[in-house]
Amino acid sequence: MKNLLTFSFLILLGIWYLSFSATRLDRLHHRVETSWANLDVLLQKRAAIALEIAHSDLADPASSMLLTGAAYQARDADVENRSMAESGLSGALGLLIADGLPHASAPEQALLQELSVLTSKIRIAISIHTDAVSSTQMVRRKFVVKVFRLAGTAPLPVTYEFESDVL
Amino acid sequence: MLTKKLKIGIVCPYGWDTPGGVQNHVRDLAEFLIVSGHTVSVLAPALDDEKLPDYVVSAGKPISIPYNGAVARVLFGPIAYARVRQWIGSGDFDLLHLHEPAIPSISLLACWAAEGPMVGTFHAAAKRQKVIFAIGPILEPAIEKLSARIAVSEAARLTLTDHLETDAVVIPNGIYAKRYSDGVAQQKWSGNTIGFIGRFEEPRKGLQVLVDALPIIARFAPDVKVFVAGPGDSKDFEKEIDPQLRDRFEFLGKISEKEKADFMSSVSLYVAPNTGGESFGIILAEALAGGACVVASDIPAFDSLLGGGEFGALFESENSTELAKVVIDLLRDESKRKTLAAAGKIRSQLFDWDVVAEQILSIYEMAIVGGQGVSLSSDGRAWGRFLSRDEEKK
Repeated sequence: MKNLLTFSFLILLGIWYLSFSATRLDRLHHRVETSWANLDVLLQKRAAIALEIAHSDLADPASSMLLTGAAYQARDADVENRSMAESGLSGALGLLIADGLPHASAPEQALLQELSVLTSKIRIAISIHTDAVSSTQMVRRKFVVKVFRLAGTAPLPVTYEFESDVL
Repeated sequence: MLTKKLKIGIVCPYGWDTPGGVQNHVRDLAEFLIVSGHTVSVLAPALDDEKLPDYVVSAGKPISIPYNGAVARVLFGPIAYARVRQWIGSGDFDLLHLHEPAIPSISLLACWAAEGPMVGTFHAAAKRQKVIFAIGPILEPAIEKLSARIAVSEAARLTLTDHLETDAVVIPNGIYAKRYSDGVAQQKWSGNTIGFIGRFEEPRKGLQVLVDALPIIARFAPDVKVFVAGPGDSKDFEKEIDPQLRDRFEFLGKISEKEKADFMSSVSLYVAPNTGGESFGIILAEALAGGACVVASDIPAFDSLLGGGEFGALFESENSTELAKVVIDLLRDESKRKTLAAAGKIRSQLFDWDVVAEQILSIYEMAIVGGQGVSLSSDGRAWGRFLSRDEEKK
Protein backbone atom coordinates (compact mmCIF):
# COMPACT_ATOMS: atom_id res chain seq x y z
CA MET A 1 0.00 0.00 0.00
CA LYS A 2 2.72 2.36 1.06
CA ASN A 3 4.75 1.55 -2.02
CA LEU A 4 1.77 2.25 -4.21
CA LEU A 5 1.30 5.65 -2.57
CA THR A 6 4.93 6.62 -3.07
CA PHE A 7 4.81 5.40 -6.62
CA SER A 8 1.73 7.38 -7.53
CA PHE A 9 3.17 10.45 -5.83
CA LEU A 10 6.30 10.18 -7.95
CA ILE A 11 4.19 9.76 -11.08
CA LEU A 12 2.20 12.87 -10.19
CA LEU A 13 5.39 14.80 -9.53
CA GLY A 14 6.74 13.66 -12.86
CA ILE A 15 3.61 14.76 -14.67
CA TRP A 16 3.71 18.12 -12.95
CA TYR A 17 7.34 18.59 -13.95
CA LEU A 18 6.59 17.71 -17.56
CA SER A 19 3.70 20.13 -17.64
CA PHE A 20 5.84 22.80 -16.02
CA SER A 21 8.65 22.30 -18.54
CA ALA A 22 6.21 22.35 -21.43
CA THR A 23 4.70 25.65 -20.26
CA ARG A 24 8.13 27.07 -19.82
CA LEU A 25 9.19 26.07 -23.31
CA ASP A 26 5.97 27.30 -24.83
CA ARG A 27 6.50 30.67 -23.22
CA LEU A 28 10.07 30.83 -24.47
CA HIS A 29 9.01 30.08 -28.03
CA HIS A 30 6.45 32.81 -27.74
CA ARG A 31 9.13 35.19 -26.51
CA VAL A 32 11.36 34.39 -29.46
CA GLU A 33 8.48 35.03 -31.86
CA THR A 34 7.69 38.36 -30.24
CA SER A 35 11.26 39.56 -30.16
CA TRP A 36 11.76 38.55 -33.78
CA ALA A 37 8.56 40.31 -34.82
CA ASN A 38 9.90 43.37 -33.07
CA LEU A 39 13.23 43.22 -34.81
CA ASP A 40 11.59 42.49 -38.14
CA VAL A 41 9.43 45.63 -37.93
CA LEU A 42 12.45 47.76 -37.07
CA LEU A 43 14.47 46.30 -39.94
CA GLN A 44 11.62 47.01 -42.36
CA LYS A 45 11.55 50.58 -41.11
CA ARG A 46 15.27 50.81 -41.68
CA ALA A 47 14.85 49.64 -45.26
CA ALA A 48 12.17 52.31 -45.75
CA ILE A 49 14.41 55.06 -44.40
CA ALA A 50 17.27 53.76 -46.53
CA LEU A 51 15.07 54.19 -49.61
CA GLU A 52 14.19 57.69 -48.53
CA ILE A 53 17.86 58.52 -48.09
CA ALA A 54 18.63 56.99 -51.47
CA HIS A 55 16.12 59.35 -53.07
CA SER A 56 17.35 62.44 -51.21
CA ASP A 57 20.10 64.79 -52.31
CA LEU A 58 22.41 63.15 -49.84
CA ALA A 59 23.17 60.29 -52.18
CA ASP A 60 25.02 60.65 -55.46
CA PRO A 61 23.61 58.54 -58.32
CA ALA A 62 26.01 55.66 -57.72
CA SER A 63 25.40 55.27 -54.00
CA SER A 64 21.71 55.91 -54.59
CA MET A 65 21.66 52.92 -56.90
CA LEU A 66 23.58 50.79 -54.43
CA LEU A 67 21.34 51.78 -51.54
CA THR A 68 18.10 51.31 -53.44
CA GLY A 69 19.23 47.85 -54.50
CA ALA A 70 20.25 46.87 -50.98
CA ALA A 71 17.04 48.21 -49.46
CA TYR A 72 14.83 46.31 -51.89
CA GLN A 73 16.83 43.16 -51.34
CA ALA A 74 16.47 43.48 -47.56
CA ARG A 75 12.74 44.00 -47.92
CA ASP A 76 12.08 41.11 -50.24
CA ALA A 77 14.61 38.58 -48.98
CA ASP A 78 13.31 35.21 -47.86
CA VAL A 79 14.47 33.51 -44.70
CA GLU A 80 17.61 32.07 -46.21
CA ASN A 81 18.87 35.27 -47.80
CA ARG A 82 17.69 37.64 -45.11
CA SER A 83 20.94 37.65 -43.19
CA MET A 84 23.06 38.52 -46.21
CA ALA A 85 20.62 41.18 -47.37
CA GLU A 86 20.55 42.94 -44.00
CA SER A 87 24.35 42.87 -43.78
CA GLY A 88 24.46 44.36 -47.27
CA LEU A 89 22.12 47.16 -46.26
CA SER A 90 24.17 47.88 -43.13
CA GLY A 91 27.25 48.10 -45.30
CA ALA A 92 25.67 50.40 -47.89
CA LEU A 93 24.27 52.71 -45.21
CA GLY A 94 27.59 52.75 -43.39
CA LEU A 95 29.42 53.81 -46.56
CA LEU A 96 27.02 56.61 -47.32
CA ILE A 97 26.86 58.00 -43.79
CA ALA A 98 30.62 57.96 -43.41
CA ASP A 99 31.14 60.44 -46.23
CA GLY A 100 27.68 61.99 -46.56
CA LEU A 101 27.33 63.32 -43.02
CA PRO A 102 29.49 66.48 -43.22
CA HIS A 103 27.55 68.11 -46.06
CA ALA A 104 23.98 67.24 -45.23
CA SER A 105 21.27 69.90 -45.26
CA ALA A 106 18.62 70.29 -42.58
CA PRO A 107 15.95 67.88 -43.86
CA GLU A 108 18.63 65.29 -44.57
CA GLN A 109 20.04 65.79 -41.10
CA ALA A 110 16.60 64.96 -39.75
CA LEU A 111 16.55 61.82 -41.85
CA LEU A 112 19.96 60.76 -40.57
CA GLN A 113 18.89 61.57 -37.03
CA GLU A 114 15.89 59.28 -37.49
CA LEU A 115 18.18 56.58 -38.79
CA SER A 116 20.52 56.81 -35.83
CA VAL A 117 17.60 56.59 -33.36
CA LEU A 118 16.35 53.56 -35.26
CA THR A 119 19.80 52.02 -35.28
CA SER A 120 20.11 52.18 -31.51
CA LYS A 121 16.66 50.62 -31.21
CA ILE A 122 17.67 47.84 -33.58
CA ARG A 123 20.72 47.22 -31.45
CA ILE A 124 18.53 46.78 -28.36
CA ALA A 125 16.05 44.60 -30.24
CA ILE A 126 18.88 42.38 -31.43
CA SER A 127 20.22 41.89 -27.93
CA ILE A 128 16.74 41.05 -26.66
CA HIS A 129 16.20 38.60 -29.51
CA THR A 130 19.53 36.80 -29.20
CA ASP A 131 18.93 36.51 -25.47
CA ALA A 132 15.53 34.92 -26.02
CA VAL A 133 17.00 32.55 -28.58
CA SER A 134 19.87 31.45 -26.37
CA SER A 135 17.59 30.81 -23.38
CA THR A 136 15.32 28.74 -25.60
CA GLN A 137 18.22 26.77 -26.98
CA MET A 138 19.42 26.12 -23.44
CA VAL A 139 16.07 24.68 -22.36
CA ARG A 140 15.72 22.73 -25.61
CA ARG A 141 18.98 20.95 -24.79
CA LYS A 142 17.56 19.61 -21.53
CA PHE A 143 17.13 15.87 -21.20
CA VAL A 144 13.39 15.77 -20.43
CA VAL A 145 12.62 18.15 -23.25
CA LYS A 146 14.41 15.95 -25.76
CA VAL A 147 13.12 12.61 -24.52
CA PHE A 148 9.48 13.63 -24.21
CA ARG A 149 9.61 15.81 -27.32
CA LEU A 150 8.14 18.72 -25.40
CA ALA A 151 9.05 21.12 -28.16
CA GLY A 152 6.66 19.34 -30.51
CA THR A 153 7.12 20.44 -34.08
CA ALA A 154 8.39 23.93 -33.29
CA PRO A 155 11.68 24.58 -35.11
CA LEU A 156 14.77 25.28 -33.03
CA PRO A 157 15.20 29.06 -33.04
CA VAL A 158 18.47 30.36 -34.42
CA THR A 159 20.13 33.75 -34.46
CA TYR A 160 21.00 35.27 -37.82
CA GLU A 161 24.55 35.94 -38.67
CA PHE A 162 23.97 39.61 -39.40
CA GLU A 163 22.94 40.11 -35.81
CA SER A 164 26.43 39.79 -34.48
CA ASP A 165 28.08 42.19 -36.90
CA VAL A 166 25.24 44.56 -37.80
CA LEU A 167 25.63 48.32 -37.55
CA MET B 1 7.98 56.91 -30.26
CA LEU B 2 5.31 55.64 -27.95
CA THR B 3 2.12 57.43 -28.82
CA LYS B 4 -0.28 55.16 -26.97
CA LYS B 5 -0.74 55.85 -23.27
CA LEU B 6 -0.01 52.72 -21.25
CA LYS B 7 -1.26 51.22 -18.05
CA ILE B 8 1.90 50.22 -16.25
CA GLY B 9 2.32 48.20 -13.07
CA ILE B 10 5.62 48.70 -11.26
CA VAL B 11 6.76 46.40 -8.47
CA CYS B 12 9.24 47.67 -5.89
CA PRO B 13 10.76 44.88 -3.80
CA TYR B 14 11.91 46.95 -0.82
CA GLY B 15 9.92 48.71 1.90
CA TRP B 16 8.56 51.99 0.53
CA ASP B 17 9.05 53.91 3.79
CA THR B 18 12.76 53.15 4.15
CA PRO B 19 15.19 55.27 2.13
CA GLY B 20 17.12 53.49 -0.60
CA GLY B 21 18.31 53.77 -4.17
CA VAL B 22 15.78 51.38 -5.69
CA GLN B 23 12.84 53.02 -3.90
CA ASN B 24 13.94 56.49 -5.07
CA HIS B 25 14.35 55.22 -8.61
CA VAL B 26 10.88 53.64 -8.63
CA ARG B 27 9.31 56.78 -7.16
CA ASP B 28 10.94 59.10 -9.69
CA LEU B 29 10.16 56.78 -12.60
CA ALA B 30 6.51 56.42 -11.55
CA GLU B 31 6.11 60.17 -11.15
CA PHE B 32 7.79 60.86 -14.49
CA LEU B 33 5.50 58.36 -16.26
CA ILE B 34 2.40 59.82 -14.61
CA VAL B 35 3.38 63.33 -15.69
CA SER B 36 3.82 62.04 -19.26
CA GLY B 37 0.23 60.81 -19.22
CA HIS B 38 0.59 57.09 -18.50
CA THR B 39 -1.39 55.35 -15.78
CA VAL B 40 0.87 53.86 -13.13
CA SER B 41 0.30 51.67 -10.11
CA VAL B 42 3.22 50.76 -7.84
CA LEU B 43 3.08 47.69 -5.62
CA ALA B 44 5.47 47.87 -2.69
CA PRO B 45 5.81 46.63 0.88
CA ALA B 46 5.02 49.40 3.36
CA LEU B 47 4.98 49.82 7.12
CA ASP B 48 2.40 52.55 7.19
CA ASP B 49 -0.44 52.45 4.67
CA GLU B 50 -1.63 55.93 5.60
CA LYS B 51 1.35 57.88 4.29
CA LEU B 52 1.56 56.33 0.84
CA PRO B 53 1.16 58.46 -2.30
CA ASP B 54 -2.03 57.58 -4.16
CA TYR B 55 -0.26 55.65 -6.92
CA VAL B 56 1.27 53.19 -4.42
CA VAL B 57 -0.52 50.04 -3.28
CA SER B 58 0.77 48.35 -0.15
CA ALA B 59 1.55 44.64 -0.34
CA GLY B 60 1.92 44.27 3.41
CA LYS B 61 4.52 44.92 6.07
CA PRO B 62 8.14 44.23 5.05
CA ILE B 63 10.37 41.69 6.78
CA SER B 64 14.00 42.60 7.54
CA ILE B 65 16.60 40.13 6.32
CA PRO B 66 20.35 40.50 5.89
CA TYR B 67 21.24 40.63 2.22
CA ASN B 68 24.35 41.65 0.27
CA GLY B 69 26.02 43.25 3.30
CA ALA B 70 23.06 45.33 4.42
CA VAL B 71 19.63 44.87 5.91
CA ALA B 72 16.99 44.52 3.21
CA ARG B 73 13.32 45.09 3.91
CA VAL B 74 11.60 42.61 1.65
CA LEU B 75 8.33 40.74 1.60
CA PHE B 76 7.28 37.21 0.67
CA GLY B 77 5.04 34.42 1.89
CA PRO B 78 1.62 33.05 0.96
CA ILE B 79 -0.32 36.15 2.01
CA ALA B 80 1.98 38.42 0.03
CA TYR B 81 1.68 36.07 -2.96
CA ALA B 82 -2.11 36.22 -2.82
CA ARG B 83 -1.90 40.01 -2.58
CA VAL B 84 0.41 40.16 -5.63
CA ARG B 85 -1.92 37.89 -7.64
CA GLN B 86 -4.90 40.03 -6.72
CA TRP B 87 -3.07 43.22 -7.75
CA ILE B 88 -2.11 41.73 -11.12
CA GLY B 89 -5.54 40.20 -11.68
CA SER B 90 -7.45 43.39 -11.01
CA GLY B 91 -4.91 45.78 -12.51
CA ASP B 92 -5.58 45.18 -16.22
CA PHE B 93 -2.02 46.25 -17.01
CA ASP B 94 -0.46 46.58 -20.45
CA LEU B 95 2.94 45.92 -18.97
CA LEU B 96 4.66 45.04 -15.70
CA HIS B 97 7.98 46.58 -14.74
CA LEU B 98 9.64 44.48 -12.02
CA HIS B 99 12.57 45.83 -10.06
CA GLU B 100 15.17 43.39 -8.73
CA PRO B 101 13.27 40.22 -9.70
CA ALA B 102 16.20 38.10 -8.55
CA ILE B 103 15.77 39.16 -4.92
CA PRO B 104 13.44 37.10 -2.70
CA SER B 105 10.65 39.64 -2.59
CA ILE B 106 7.39 40.59 -4.29
CA SER B 107 9.01 41.28 -7.67
CA LEU B 108 9.96 37.62 -7.91
CA LEU B 109 6.46 36.63 -6.80
CA ALA B 110 4.96 38.88 -9.48
CA CYS B 111 7.26 37.32 -12.06
CA TRP B 112 5.96 33.88 -11.09
CA ALA B 113 2.34 34.94 -11.02
CA ALA B 114 2.08 36.96 -14.21
CA GLU B 115 2.00 36.19 -17.89
CA GLY B 116 2.54 38.71 -20.68
CA PRO B 117 4.79 41.68 -21.35
CA MET B 118 7.22 42.12 -18.47
CA VAL B 119 10.37 44.19 -18.14
CA GLY B 120 12.85 43.59 -15.34
CA THR B 121 15.41 46.03 -13.98
CA PHE B 122 18.45 44.69 -12.16
CA HIS B 123 20.08 47.12 -9.76
CA ALA B 124 22.43 45.06 -7.63
CA ALA B 125 26.06 44.41 -8.36
CA ALA B 126 27.67 41.61 -6.40
CA LYS B 127 30.56 39.26 -6.68
CA ARG B 128 29.75 35.78 -7.90
CA GLN B 129 28.37 33.74 -5.03
CA LYS B 130 28.54 29.98 -4.71
CA VAL B 131 24.92 29.84 -3.58
CA ILE B 132 23.81 30.64 -7.13
CA PHE B 133 24.27 26.99 -8.05
CA ALA B 134 21.52 26.16 -5.61
CA ILE B 135 19.08 28.96 -6.36
CA GLY B 136 19.77 29.33 -10.07
CA PRO B 137 17.38 26.57 -11.17
CA ILE B 138 14.60 28.22 -9.16
CA LEU B 139 15.25 31.69 -10.51
CA GLU B 140 15.88 30.76 -14.13
CA PRO B 141 12.32 29.78 -15.18
CA ALA B 142 11.04 33.00 -13.61
CA ILE B 143 13.67 35.34 -14.99
CA GLU B 144 13.32 33.97 -18.52
CA LYS B 145 9.68 35.11 -18.57
CA LEU B 146 10.85 38.71 -18.76
CA SER B 147 10.50 40.11 -22.27
CA ALA B 148 13.39 42.49 -21.72
CA ARG B 149 15.97 43.06 -19.04
CA ILE B 150 17.55 46.32 -17.99
CA ALA B 151 20.70 46.67 -15.91
CA VAL B 152 21.41 50.03 -14.29
CA SER B 153 25.15 49.84 -14.87
CA GLU B 154 27.83 47.77 -16.53
CA ALA B 155 28.58 46.28 -13.09
CA ALA B 156 24.97 45.17 -12.68
CA ARG B 157 24.98 43.71 -16.20
CA LEU B 158 28.09 41.66 -15.46
CA THR B 159 26.51 40.39 -12.25
CA LEU B 160 23.52 39.27 -14.27
CA THR B 161 25.54 37.51 -16.98
CA ASP B 162 27.70 35.84 -14.32
CA HIS B 163 24.83 34.63 -12.18
CA LEU B 164 22.04 33.88 -14.59
CA GLU B 165 23.74 33.69 -17.97
CA THR B 166 21.43 36.21 -19.50
CA ASP B 167 22.15 39.56 -21.07
CA ALA B 168 20.66 42.97 -20.39
CA VAL B 169 20.45 46.42 -21.88
CA VAL B 170 22.24 49.04 -19.77
CA ILE B 171 20.10 52.05 -18.91
CA PRO B 172 21.40 54.22 -16.07
CA ASN B 173 19.42 55.40 -13.08
CA GLY B 174 17.76 58.75 -13.54
CA ILE B 175 18.12 62.06 -11.73
CA TYR B 176 16.24 65.32 -12.10
CA ALA B 177 19.35 67.19 -13.27
CA LYS B 178 17.62 70.58 -13.29
CA ARG B 179 16.84 70.39 -9.58
CA TYR B 180 20.55 70.22 -8.83
CA SER B 181 21.85 72.65 -11.40
CA ASP B 182 20.29 75.75 -9.79
CA GLY B 183 21.86 75.34 -6.35
CA VAL B 184 23.17 78.53 -4.74
CA ALA B 185 26.68 78.48 -3.24
CA GLN B 186 26.44 79.00 0.53
CA GLN B 187 29.15 80.90 2.43
CA LYS B 188 29.02 78.47 5.38
CA TRP B 189 30.00 75.50 3.22
CA SER B 190 32.54 77.27 1.00
CA GLY B 191 36.31 77.46 1.27
CA ASN B 192 38.60 74.49 1.71
CA THR B 193 35.72 72.12 2.30
CA ILE B 194 34.97 68.48 1.65
CA GLY B 195 31.43 67.17 1.40
CA PHE B 196 30.04 63.71 2.09
CA ILE B 197 26.41 62.57 1.88
CA GLY B 198 25.10 59.20 2.96
CA ARG B 199 24.31 56.87 5.83
CA PHE B 200 27.77 57.33 7.35
CA GLU B 201 27.30 54.63 9.98
CA GLU B 202 27.35 51.91 7.33
CA PRO B 203 30.95 50.74 6.84
CA ARG B 204 30.52 50.27 3.09
CA LYS B 205 29.83 54.00 2.66
CA GLY B 206 33.50 54.40 3.61
CA LEU B 207 33.47 57.55 5.74
CA GLN B 208 36.15 55.86 7.85
CA VAL B 209 38.53 55.99 4.87
CA LEU B 210 38.07 59.76 4.72
CA VAL B 211 38.55 60.06 8.51
CA ASP B 212 41.83 58.16 8.22
CA ALA B 213 42.96 60.41 5.38
CA LEU B 214 42.23 63.63 7.23
CA PRO B 215 45.39 63.86 9.37
CA ILE B 216 47.47 63.97 6.20
CA ILE B 217 45.11 66.37 4.44
CA ALA B 218 45.08 68.69 7.46
CA ARG B 219 48.86 68.92 7.41
CA PHE B 220 48.81 70.44 3.93
CA ALA B 221 45.54 72.31 4.16
CA PRO B 222 45.25 73.47 7.79
CA ASP B 223 41.84 75.11 7.34
CA VAL B 224 40.14 72.10 5.79
CA LYS B 225 36.62 71.24 6.97
CA VAL B 226 34.50 68.16 6.33
CA PHE B 227 30.71 68.38 6.16
CA VAL B 228 28.86 65.12 6.60
CA ALA B 229 25.19 65.01 5.69
CA GLY B 230 22.88 62.08 6.03
CA PRO B 231 20.81 60.26 8.63
CA GLY B 232 22.51 58.55 11.56
CA ASP B 233 23.78 59.07 15.08
CA SER B 234 26.88 61.24 14.88
CA LYS B 235 27.68 60.96 18.62
CA ASP B 236 28.99 57.43 18.32
CA PHE B 237 30.94 58.19 15.21
CA GLU B 238 32.57 61.31 16.67
CA LYS B 239 34.02 59.28 19.54
CA GLU B 240 36.05 57.31 17.03
CA ILE B 241 37.65 60.41 15.53
CA ASP B 242 41.01 61.66 16.79
CA PRO B 243 40.17 64.45 19.34
CA GLN B 244 42.50 66.92 17.64
CA LEU B 245 40.59 66.61 14.38
CA ARG B 246 37.11 66.34 15.82
CA ASP B 247 36.31 70.02 15.29
CA ARG B 248 37.03 69.71 11.58
CA PHE B 249 33.98 67.52 11.16
CA GLU B 250 30.52 68.95 11.12
CA PHE B 251 27.51 66.65 11.02
CA LEU B 252 24.52 68.23 9.36
CA GLY B 253 22.00 65.42 9.75
CA LYS B 254 19.51 64.72 7.00
CA ILE B 255 19.27 67.56 4.48
CA SER B 256 16.50 68.42 2.03
CA GLU B 257 16.75 68.18 -1.76
CA LYS B 258 17.08 71.97 -2.00
CA GLU B 259 19.88 72.01 0.57
CA LYS B 260 21.55 69.16 -1.28
CA ALA B 261 21.70 71.27 -4.45
CA ASP B 262 23.21 74.19 -2.51
CA PHE B 263 25.60 71.81 -0.76
CA MET B 264 26.90 70.40 -4.04
CA SER B 265 27.57 73.83 -5.52
CA SER B 266 29.27 75.10 -2.34
CA VAL B 267 31.82 72.48 -1.33
CA SER B 268 35.24 72.43 -2.96
CA LEU B 269 35.26 68.68 -3.28
CA TYR B 270 32.63 66.00 -2.99
CA VAL B 271 34.18 62.75 -1.74
CA ALA B 272 32.59 59.31 -2.18
CA PRO B 273 34.91 56.79 -0.48
CA ASN B 274 32.48 53.84 -0.74
CA THR B 275 34.19 50.50 -0.38
CA GLY B 276 31.69 48.41 -2.33
CA GLY B 277 28.10 47.25 -2.58
CA GLU B 278 27.37 50.16 -4.87
CA SER B 279 25.94 49.38 -8.26
CA PHE B 280 25.37 52.75 -9.86
CA GLY B 281 26.24 55.68 -7.57
CA ILE B 282 23.25 57.97 -8.00
CA ILE B 283 24.77 60.37 -5.46
CA LEU B 284 27.72 60.93 -7.79
CA ALA B 285 25.37 61.74 -10.67
CA GLU B 286 23.64 64.26 -8.40
CA ALA B 287 26.94 65.73 -7.29
CA LEU B 288 28.04 66.14 -10.91
CA ALA B 289 24.72 67.76 -11.82
CA GLY B 290 25.17 70.14 -8.89
CA GLY B 291 28.50 71.23 -10.32
CA ALA B 292 30.70 69.65 -7.65
CA CYS B 293 34.20 68.39 -8.30
CA VAL B 294 34.01 64.71 -7.37
CA VAL B 295 36.61 62.42 -5.81
CA ALA B 296 35.53 58.77 -5.63
CA SER B 297 36.92 55.34 -4.89
CA ASP B 298 37.68 53.24 -7.95
CA ILE B 299 35.00 50.58 -7.41
CA PRO B 300 33.59 49.44 -10.80
CA ALA B 301 30.34 51.42 -10.62
CA PHE B 302 32.08 54.72 -9.83
CA ASP B 303 34.84 54.09 -12.31
CA SER B 304 32.39 53.72 -15.17
CA LEU B 305 30.16 56.59 -14.02
CA LEU B 306 33.18 58.91 -13.90
CA GLY B 307 34.47 57.65 -17.26
CA GLY B 308 37.66 56.23 -15.74
CA GLY B 309 38.61 59.59 -14.21
CA GLU B 310 37.56 61.90 -17.02
CA PHE B 311 34.63 63.45 -15.13
CA GLY B 312 35.95 63.19 -11.58
CA ALA B 313 39.07 62.05 -9.77
CA LEU B 314 39.47 58.44 -8.64
CA PHE B 315 41.57 56.86 -5.91
CA GLU B 316 42.25 53.25 -5.00
CA SER B 317 39.38 51.99 -2.86
CA GLU B 318 40.10 51.79 0.90
CA ASN B 319 43.50 53.44 0.44
CA SER B 320 43.33 56.56 2.63
CA THR B 321 46.87 57.68 1.77
CA GLU B 322 46.00 57.85 -1.89
CA LEU B 323 42.73 59.60 -1.11
CA ALA B 324 44.69 62.22 0.86
CA LYS B 325 47.07 62.69 -2.06
CA VAL B 326 44.26 63.20 -4.57
CA VAL B 327 42.39 65.58 -2.27
CA ILE B 328 45.45 67.73 -1.50
CA ASP B 329 46.33 67.87 -5.16
CA LEU B 330 42.87 69.12 -6.08
CA LEU B 331 42.50 71.54 -3.16
CA ARG B 332 45.64 73.28 -4.35
CA ASP B 333 44.68 73.45 -8.00
CA GLU B 334 41.52 75.44 -8.54
CA SER B 335 41.64 75.34 -12.34
CA LYS B 336 41.83 71.55 -12.35
CA ARG B 337 38.81 71.43 -10.03
CA LYS B 338 36.89 73.72 -12.35
CA THR B 339 37.77 71.64 -15.42
CA LEU B 340 36.65 68.39 -13.78
CA ALA B 341 33.44 69.95 -12.45
CA ALA B 342 32.58 71.40 -15.87
CA ALA B 343 33.17 68.06 -17.62
CA GLY B 344 31.14 66.33 -14.92
CA LYS B 345 28.21 68.67 -15.33
CA ILE B 346 27.95 67.84 -19.03
CA ARG B 347 28.24 64.16 -18.18
CA SER B 348 25.37 64.38 -15.71
CA GLN B 349 22.92 65.35 -18.47
CA LEU B 350 23.10 61.72 -19.64
CA PHE B 351 21.38 60.69 -16.42
CA ASP B 352 18.58 63.22 -16.65
CA TRP B 353 15.11 61.64 -16.51
CA ASP B 354 14.21 63.13 -19.89
CA VAL B 355 16.95 61.02 -21.48
CA VAL B 356 16.65 57.94 -19.26
CA ALA B 357 12.85 57.66 -19.38
CA GLU B 358 12.94 57.89 -23.17
CA GLN B 359 15.19 54.82 -23.24
CA ILE B 360 12.99 52.96 -20.78
CA LEU B 361 9.90 53.76 -22.84
CA SER B 362 11.50 52.38 -25.98
CA ILE B 363 12.10 49.13 -24.08
CA TYR B 364 8.44 49.14 -23.03
CA GLU B 365 7.48 49.63 -26.63
CA MET B 366 9.42 46.53 -27.64
CA ALA B 367 8.03 44.47 -24.78
CA ILE B 368 4.37 45.14 -25.56
CA VAL B 369 4.53 44.16 -29.24
CA GLY B 370 2.17 41.29 -29.90
CA GLY B 371 1.13 41.08 -26.27
CA GLN B 372 -2.45 41.22 -25.11
CA GLY B 373 -1.61 42.77 -21.78
CA VAL B 374 -0.72 41.16 -18.49
CA SER B 375 -2.72 38.28 -17.08
CA LEU B 376 -2.33 35.72 -14.32
CA SER B 377 -0.41 32.68 -15.44
CA SER B 378 -2.06 29.30 -15.26
CA ASP B 379 -0.12 26.10 -15.44
CA GLY B 380 -2.80 24.38 -17.49
CA ARG B 381 -1.93 26.50 -20.48
CA ALA B 382 0.63 24.10 -21.92
CA TRP B 383 -1.81 21.20 -21.68
CA GLY B 384 -4.41 23.23 -23.49
CA ARG B 385 -1.91 23.98 -26.21
CA PHE B 386 -0.71 20.39 -26.29
CA LEU B 387 -4.18 18.97 -26.75
CA SER B 388 -5.20 21.50 -29.39
CA ARG B 389 -1.85 21.61 -31.12
CA ASP B 390 -3.00 19.71 -34.17
CA GLU B 391 -5.94 22.01 -34.68
CA GLU B 392 -3.70 25.05 -34.47
CA LYS B 393 -1.26 23.74 -37.01
CA LYS B 394 -3.67 23.30 -39.89
